[in-house]
Amino acid sequence: MNDCVSIVIVSHSPEVARGAADMVREMVGTEVRVAHCGGNPAGGLGTDVGAILRAIESVYGPKGVAMLIDLGGAETNSEMAIEMLPEEMRKNVVICNAPIVEGAVMAATEAAGGASLQAVRATAEEFLS
Amino acid sequence: MAPDRLQRLIDAASANIAAHEEELTTLDRAIGDGDHGANMRRGFAAIEAAGAEISSLEFGAALQKAGMTLVMSVGGASGPLFGSLLMAMGKSAPAVPANAAAVAAMLTEGIESVKKRGKGDVGAKTMLDVLVPVRDAIASGDDPIAAARAAADAGLAATRDMKATKGRASFLGERSIGHLDPGARSSALLVHAICDVLEERK
Amino acid sequence: MNGIIAKSWEAFGEAVIRDPTGLHARPAVKLTRRAKSHHAEIEVRAGSAGTWINAKSPNAVMKLKAGNGERLYFRALGEDAAVAIAAMVALVEQDFDG
Repeated sequence: MNDCVSIVIVSHSPEVARGAADMVREMVGTEVRVAHCGGNPAGGLGTDVGAILRAIESVYGPKGVAMLIDLGGAETNSEMAIEMLPEEMRKNVVICNAPIVEGAVMAATEAAGGASLQAVRATAEEFLS
Repeated sequence: MAPDRLQRLIDAASANIAAHEEELTTLDRAIGDGDHGANMRRGFAAIEAAGAEISSLEFGAALQKAGMTLVMSVGGASGPLFGSLLMAMGKSAPAVPANAAAVAAMLTEGIESVKKRGKGDVGAKTMLDVLVPVRDAIASGDDPIAAARAAADAGLAATRDMKATKGRASFLGERSIGHLDPGARSSALLVHAICDVLEERK
Repeated sequence: MNGIIAKSWEAFGEAVIRDPTGLHARPAVKLTRRAKSHHAEIEVRAGSAGTWINAKSPNAVMKLKAGNGERLYFRALGEDAAVAIAAMVALVEQDFDG
């Protein structure tokens, strides 16, 4: 379904990331592609730039990717991963300033109608405001 | 740079981080989430594992490869931060810097990259509070190695009274005061390890 | 009780929420998705005195907080307004199970 914005969920915890992705699939359906990753390269709590990169690439499409991430290092590592993407992909990947679970559901709901990346991001970020 | 000197730099940096893993963990437990020691040790162990390949490269390429190795293996914010430092330094200096001024210029590129990546500057209780004074000392001192060591120690000590405004430690606000910053401690450990190797030649 | 009024390009409809917990998160997502599948502008309000909100806005629908037994009113404007309203009413009548 390349005509929808895709969602990438990044958490320090693999279980949180998987759970949030499951919630999106169950509530919104499979029209919107969702990838998730969590945990550091040694399997503990943390985030892994390589895994984030692979998650983005696995669902990347022409409409772009909206990312929902949790605390601190997840942001630094996600920004690093975005910068490591080929230049033409980089501008189509955005980090949403929104809570990870709620933001992912709202973003996917918006994305399901074929909304633009800007609209998807705005919907996720609007949730708490 | 000769492959064996690059290998010695790698070994010395990795050994000093490994030797202080517990201390870094303790420092990070006080104001962070306690994973800085393990994260840095994992990152430098990965560099050490890739040591033969890294030390076969030109100086700048070796730094970039080492930085990328940190980015891909650390698993916390310090991966991209220390990784960006090394990658930007390597990008700016393809060959070994010829003099202290060139070392300072190279370090400046790394520092700018860390500032951008961490969206911070000196005074926020971070690795920059060691790196920036070390850069300034190298640029101005007539004994750059001794000056770098002294500036690293003084910069590290100064983080104790700072209030963290970046990273996890910023959640503690005033309560972050009174603890050394773990990232600044790692930076000082790396500065001393590099100085050790550079002094071997004397 | 429930019904649909359709003129060309404009349609109205209403249906009562039967889910005991009301229009909670999952039905709200379904309602938004169903609305988005039509070209017409679709608005919804909870109760006859409620404020009309965009039925395609996930945030707005999530904040409707309509409870069990409450009546949802729909209005649509556009070429497929009648079809859209029929779909929205059907979704609520099927207790969002569709």
